[in-house]
Amino acid sequence: MKTTWKDIAPVPTSQEFLDIVLSRTQRQLPTQIRAGFKISRIRGFYTRKVKYTQETFCEKFQAILDGFPRLADIHPFHKDLMNTLYDADHFRIALGQVSTAKHLIETVSRDYVRLIKYAQSLFQCKQLKRAALGRMATICRRLKDPLVYLEQVRQHLGRLPSIDPNTRTLLICGYPNVGKSSFLRSITRADVDVQPYAFTTKSLFVGHFDYKYLRFQAIDTPGILDHPLEEMNTIEMQSITAVAHLRSAILYFMDLSEQCGYSVTDQIKLFHSIKPLFANKIVFIIVNKIDVRRPEDLDPEQQQELQEILKAEDVEMLQVSCTTTEGVTAVKNAACDKLLAERVSQKLKSGSNTAGTPGGRLGDVLARIHVAQPMGGVQRETFIPEAVKNLQKYDKEDPNRRRLERDLEEENGGAGVYSFDMQRDYTLADSEWKHDKIPEVWNGKNIYDFVDPDIETKLAALEEEEEKLEADGYYESDESVEDAEDADIRMKADLIREKRTLMRNEAKMRKSLKNRALIPRSAKSKKLSEMEHGLDAAGYEVDAAGSRARSQSRPRGRTATREAGDDDAMDLDDPRKAIVRAKSRARSQAATDRRNDGVVDETARSKADRLHKLGQKKMNRMARQGEADRHTTVSLARHLVAGKRGIGKNDRR
Amino acid sequence: MPQNEYIERWQKQHGKRLDHDERVRKRQAREGHKQSHDAQNLRGLRAKLYQQKRHKEKIQMKKRIKAQEEKNVKSAAPDEPSKTPLPQYLLDRSQATNAKALSSAIKDKRKEKSAKFAVPLPKVKGISEEEMFKVVNTGKKTHKKSWKRMITKPTFVGNDFTRRPVKYERFIRPMGLRYKKANVTHPELGVTVQLPILSVKKNPNNPLFTQLGVLTKGTIIEVNVSELGLVTTSGKVVWGKWAQITNVPENDGCVNAVLLV
Repeated sequence: MKTTWKDIAPVPTSQEFLDIVLSRTQRQLPTQIRAGFKISRIRGFYTRKVKYTQETFCEKFQAILDGFPRLADIHPFHKDLMNTLYDADHFRIALGQVSTAKHLIETVSRDYVRLIKYAQSLFQCKQLKRAALGRMATICRRLKDPLVYLEQVRQHLGRLPSIDPNTRTLLICGYPNVGKSSFLRSITRADVDVQPYAFTTKSLFVGHFDYKYLRFQAIDTPGILDHPLEEMNTIEMQSITAVAHLRSAILYFMDLSEQCGYSVTDQIKLFHSIKPLFANKIVFIIVNKIDVRRPEDLDPEQQQELQEILKAEDVEMLQVSCTTTEGVTAVKNAACDKLLAERVSQKLKSGSNTAGTPGGRLGDVLARIHVAQPMGGVQRETFIPEAVKNLQKYDKEDPNRRRLERDLEEENGGAGVYSFDMQRDYTLADSEWKHDKIPEVWNGKNIYDFVDPDIETKLAALEEEEEKLEADGYYESDESVEDAEDADIRMKADLIREKRTLMRNEAKMRKSLKNRALIPRSAKSKKLSEMEHGLDAAGYEVDAAGSRARSQSRPRGRTATREAGDDDAMDLDDPRKAIVRAKSRARSQAATDRRNDGVVDETARSKADRLHKLGQKKMNRMARQGEADRHTTVSLARHLVAGKRGIGKNDRR
Repeated sequence: MPQNEYIERWQKQHGKRLDHDERVRKRQAREGHKQSHDAQNLRGLRAKLYQQKRHKEKIQMKKRIKAQEEKNVKSAAPDEPSKTPLPQYLLDRSQATNAKALSSAIKDKRKEKSAKFAVPLPKVKGISEEEMFKVVNTGKKTHKKSWKRMITKPTFVGNDFTRRPVKYERFIRPMGLRYKKANVTHPELGVTVQLPILSVKKNPNNPLFTQLGVLTKGTIIEVNVSELGLVTTSGKVVWGKWAQITNVPENDGCVNAVLLV
């Protein structure tokens, strides 16, 4: 159940509310509209405006309505408290007005959306929208007072202490100025104002404390005066509400010294008048300020009155002095104990059926609980090791005391000089190893990655296995002898494999197109020598096939070239003829081969090829055009090249 | 957690910061500068809102100054009683001595006069039939001849009206634009009540519009005033009274009228 309402969103004033909603409409919706647009579009535009405004209004109003607690849904204590503080009727009416406004705005929006459907022009649409928003604004403006009120309620509600009506509670009540707040201060950490005048505490204050590992809350109430309920003001009514509704132990505080300004008789009277509220609760009478006056010092009449209360009711009297803190803990403990016992018994009672055995949820829980005990009533003692038992108790003064690290530090130069020996307490197989230096990194490798604590055992296991295998004669085999036939087969197989890889590679080379067109093999010309070579390799007769191919490729008739060794020809020419012939020819020049010039040997060649390939690689990969590609420059617009513009006219160039 | 009036408590315990008063004074002194800065530098919607706010504030300010001035005016009434004795029946009439009372009296008179003699709306802007009627051309026959009309202005339609068959219905008065009630102001009493409309007496634009019950600015309508409890000279309760429409209903989404008395 909710006990605090700190998270209610702030309630804006009506003017702020309007500003928020209207500016949201303005910001979130389009603002451009023209009379020339289609009428349906204009209507849609304004309909949207009206509807959006209405939605925003409703959303905000609903948020307010949802944020505040509904009095019917909360605990009666909180309900009554709110009633005394804020007047439940007023609260309900304010929320009701907000809700009504929401409905009204919805109605207005519906009406005007309907009217906009029939509007004929932009102007008419606009006027209708204006009227709609105006009416919504008027409705909102009428909410001025409720909104202000709700904001005040919200602020006050947020500052109320979180009182849980169902938890373990000590309720401190009594006349003003009898020391209620100072008691709360002394048992909890609550920062409550304590002043020497009446009605310092004007509302409920809560403090928390622990007792027996349980969280208790103590509630400090404003003082109550002894007059009828109708005459009580808001401050006193808060106390009454708390006393009436909270299931708690009530600590009725009395000041016998009468420093508070009210006589003991008055205080006893007040107890009697608010007694009806104490029904079914544990009540204590706490006599405060016993450092000034104790109940024993009272005059007999008053003492008798006091005794009468204690006798008649199931009331216990406790004594306390908050100034000297005498009896504070005793009072707290007594009250808490009794409260706990009471709550447990009540729980049992409410949980048990007519037969007296606990049923329902309590019964379930009890049935499931089983505390195991040792069999045969054996006592199990706590085990404490002998060494611990015999351990000498450390004593600073004893000269034979254990030497602590602190002592070492003192001896070796004190704090800041002494650095303690971390390796001293290592537990190793040999205590001499303690201070061995182990590098963290060795040869660029982290030593620790190679440390295996079980390496010894693993090695031993491996060696053992090996020995066993050796003993079994696993390694003694005689299959190493190989005959010549096998060797021959092996050699041939190697050859075949090599040949096969070569062929595969060649095919691969052939097939990888490298961005060239695929030429069918039949269309490709092959050199005769290649054919001969191939046939030879395949083990065919070469000569016949070769000569046939040659004869076919040679044209018939006279050859164009002169046979050099034509000895049968007539020797007609004089020897000078050769010289003339040589002179008539153009002087032959060495052909420049740009591919091979400057390339010394095969390695240089291959290196040049590699570099060439490398240079082309990026271009190929990016599918970029190279320098060899055909390229058309960008055609510029006329004004960019015609030169009609001077320099510095604009920066578009 | 702090609880209840912890802020006040803190202030009581620790006081305000030492320069609190100084800061408050300075903030107040800076107020004018800030307003001026806002007025000069705000733009757009915010500027508009700001100016509206300032406008209202200034009106209030001026009113207050004026009231103050009026209050301060010394009355010109003679201090000593006049020499000439007044007759008995005039003795209890105290003369208005201070200027404020005088001015308010003048205002009252002006108000009364305007209410009594002004005719609410002597002239109206004409409305053409083109503007009033939208041509409905749906369906085959209507489409060909375009004889059907829809009224684009708010109308009053009597309780017992039933639509004619579609074939004969020339004028359509859309349901969404039918009004049954008008906000009627009684000019002398100065109260505005929402009253049911009984009929349309006269539409100044066109007798046809009167017939159709079109509600435009300046139209005379009959309203049911039985709620006001007006009584005729002979002591009978008046229940129907005429009123003139003072707003443009199609733009405002409501009918406002002033009672003709």
